Amino acid sequence: MKRILLAEDEEILRMLITDTLEDEDFQVVEAGDGQEALDLLKDGKYDLIVLDYMMPVYSGLEVIVKIRQEGINKDVPIMMLSAKSQLSEQEQVIAAGADYFMAKPFSPLELLGKVRDILNEKNTIQ
Amino acid sequence: MKKIQFNKNSIVRRYIFLMGVFIGAFLLLAGLLLYSFYELNEEYTSKNRQLEDKERLVQDMEEAFLQAFMDVRGYFAYGSENLKDNALEQEPQILDSMKELEEMEEDFKDQSFLNEVDKFREYYFTEALPVNLGEFEKGNIEAVKAAANEGATNKIEAFMADINEYNEAINDQIDANFDELKKIQSYVQFGFVVFVLAFLIVLLRITRLMFSEIARPLAGFAAAANEIAYGREAVIEVEKDRNDELGVLSIAFNRMLEGIQENEQNLLAQNEELVAQQDELHAQQLELQEALEIVKNNEQKLSSRNELINKLANSLDKQEVMESAVLNMCPIIGAEKGIIAFIEDSSYASYGISPGGVGQFLNNLLFSGVVDRLKMDRKPFAMKRQAAEEEKGFHTENLLSFDLYIPIFLSGKKLIAVMAFSRNDAPFDNRLMEEYEAMAKNVGIAMDKVNLYQASEEARRLNQDILDTIQEGVQLVNTEGKILQVNKKFCELFRCPEKLREMDGCSWADWIVLLEDSIEEAGEFINFLKSEVASQEKYSSNEEQFIYKNKEGKVFKVYCEGLFDGNTKLGTIFVHRNITKEFEVDRIKSEFVSTVSHELRTPLASILGFTELMLNRELKLDRQKKYLSTIHNEAGRLTDLINDFLDIQRMESGKQEYEKKQLAMLLIIKKVIELQKVHSESHELSLEFLGGRDFVIGDAGKLEQALTNLIHNAIKYSPEGGRVGVVVFEKDGRVKIEIQDEGLGIPPEALDRLFEKFYRVDNSDRRSIGGTGLGLAIVKEIIHDHGGDISVKSQFGKGSTFTISLPVSDSQTV
Repeated sequence: MKRILLAEDEEILRMLITDTLEDEDFQVVEAGDGQEALDLLKDGKYDLIVLDYMMPVYSGLEVIVKIRQEGINKDVPIMMLSAKSQLSEQEQVIAAGADYFMAKPFSPLELLGKVRDILNEKNTIQ
Repeated sequence: MKKIQFNKNSIVRRYIFLMGVFIGAFLLLAGLLLYSFYELNEEYTSKNRQLEDKERLVQDMEEAFLQAFMDVRGYFAYGSENLKDNALEQEPQILDSMKELEEMEEDFKDQSFLNEVDKFREYYFTEALPVNLGEFEKGNIEAVKAAANEGATNKIEAFMADINEYNEAINDQIDANFDELKKIQSYVQFGFVVFVLAFLIVLLRITRLMFSEIARPLAGFAAAANEIAYGREAVIEVEKDRNDELGVLSIAFNRMLEGIQENEQNLLAQNEELVAQQDELHAQQLELQEALEIVKNNEQKLSSRNELINKLANSLDKQEVMESAVLNMCPIIGAEKGIIAFIEDSSYASYGISPGGVGQFLNNLLFSGVVDRLKMDRKPFAMKRQAAEEEKGFHTENLLSFDLYIPIFLSGKKLIAVMAFSRNDAPFDNRLMEEYEAMAKNVGIAMDKVNLYQASEEARRLNQDILDTIQEGVQLVNTEGKILQVNKKFCELFRCPEKLREMDGCSWADWIVLLEDSIEEAGEFINFLKSEVASQEKYSSNEEQFIYKNKEGKVFKVYCEGLFDGNTKLGTIFVHRNITKEFEVDRIKSEFVSTVSHELRTPLASILGFTELMLNRELKLDRQKKYLSTIHNEAGRLTDLINDFLDIQRMESGKQEYEKKQLAMLLIIKKVIELQKVHSESHELSLEFLGGRDFVIGDAGKLEQALTNLIHNAIKYSPEGGRVGVVVFEKDGRVKIEIQDEGLGIPPEALDRLFEKFYRVDNSDRRSIGGTGLGLAIVKEIIHDHGGDISVKSQFGKGSTFTISLPVSDSQTV
């Protein structure tokens, strides 16, 4: 079972994404803010990290920078969710080390398809 | 007149011989004297030593006899054989001493003494001692005693007396010998004194001889030389046959005297010549002094002229030019006093004139005819008059005064000023009038220059004042980047308002440092400035502007425009416009759009997401209900957001309508608290009424909205929970409502802007608590529209207190 870390401060959106992914046999570990996400990433290996852009303590952007610097999940693919859909923000996120960007509002089924693609890609490479 | 007689060949040789003989004789006689003294001493010593030896031998013999007597008596007393042997051993010693004395025998006394000693020795050791020893050894003591009594003892005593007598005779001889020596020594000393005296007499004679033969002629020479030195006549005479040094010296002296006299004649002739030359030189010196005086005078005039020209050329100050003209022209002209006065404004500068005199001159200038004459003749003129009493000083006789008037024309030929100079008892030279006129022209030109400068300075000042009123920083630089002009605002922007005057002419390198010190990331801006200064483009485009931020956080937009004279670029004008407010508004708007986008998109994402799942998946009933409930709540959240936007838009446009009536605030607050309790379990919400009236005139819905917003904020910004208290009381005819929390608090820098529209406190470092930035702005609008006001106090990190103050109402209607 693939492990996915989901960091999102909006509880309702966490519920939406978790339900969407768990129905398809993915294991989702939830974090309510950037600090919680970093703590969880220290403790275990994940196949995919899904981050919200605007979060308390550490923003999604800051979390990406910290992940890419060191740790056991240094090379794990990262998907960024953001209500800020301006091109400059997307570029900033990709430059910081995110692999995918998805603007809010998003289709949960589209997100599911994207997650599958990412994890299949990863398997193929491996 | 001195006379010296001398008849020897060489003084030196003669006196060397004399002194040689004298010293030789002295040494010889002194040697003889010392030798005889030594011989005498030796004789005495030898004689004395012989007598002392005799004395010693006599004593040895006496001691031997006495030792023998003592030992024999000891033997008779104690019977010791040793004592007997000792007594017998004394005889050979006595014989040895006698033998030695015999060798020293000199006279009958010595011979007689030796015979006495020998006889006694014979008697004692050969006759008496053997008999007595035999008797004693036989034990016949009485016979021994009888022998002693019969005469032995007497003989011994008589013999000892002889020895003493001989000893005394020797002592007497020693004493006599010593007395003889003393007598001879006194003779020798006397002889030595006589010898010394004799030699002193000889030495005195030699000295007298030297004095008479050397010193006296030398004194004669000295006296003669002295006479000659004083210019008197003197003759040095010596014997004709005197060929020694003094003879030679006298001849040389006479020759020298002749030479001196000859030289004196020459010197007298030369002196006369020199005196003539000196007179000539003195005359020349007087001429030169006169010439020097003239040169110095001219030099002073030139110096004053240079000073005047310098001042006229370099000074741009009217008063300075006037003062310089008067002060420097007085010595050039040779005037004792002078004044320059302007016709139009009566400005003046004077030298050597009292204030009363100046006033009199200025008052009468236009009416004295001087100005009219100068205007007509257009050249200087001089006048002669009797000196006034105050000009005479200590002079009592009649004194003439001379006045010189010089006109000063501008380049436009207009008479602007008059110069007047005055001196006593010396007329002004008409030949120098042209020179004075030329100087006055120079003053006129300088005045032209001053007027032009003042006009340009006034224009510049006006230009600067205009520039300084502009609320944008204006900077004009030339093609090398050197500042030509800036305005006050520019200096304020770069924090150097006190350097406004120093900035003009400031080089690129110097003012760029100012920019670097006050601008964030100045490198790019400096590159922009460089390219614009170097640009030859005549027409600006929108690209020729740059936005930068200074270190105080203010934002500026720089526009630039090339300054051209035909096709030649003269410089570039940079206009630094403070766009901080616009920038901030743009930033706030952009942030607002971003926030609105975020705030709208989040509930929208939930609604769309859950509906998509419900449409595309087979869901259990409970999950369907959960999703529908969520969709419903998120739709409500969306509605609130949209209402906020609409409220603020209505309030801004003044279209907000209120249905006002009398309300009890406590009831509204209770209702709001009850509703908020549902949303927060970790907070302790309380209401405290401290008394007074709580009625206000207001719109219940709007006041409820405001209170809901404030209480909701208190809950939202206390993420760790805690107490949220509402305190109501009346004070000064107003209902006061305090909403207190123990939450995050507000940073001090954010307090002033808290009620601004779209302003949101940056709390990303603590908790990113979202909001539209409109809530407090809406609250403020509502409270103000009810005639109230709202304030906030906060301790960062400890909580906040918002206070609403509304007018109390007693009436039931609006």
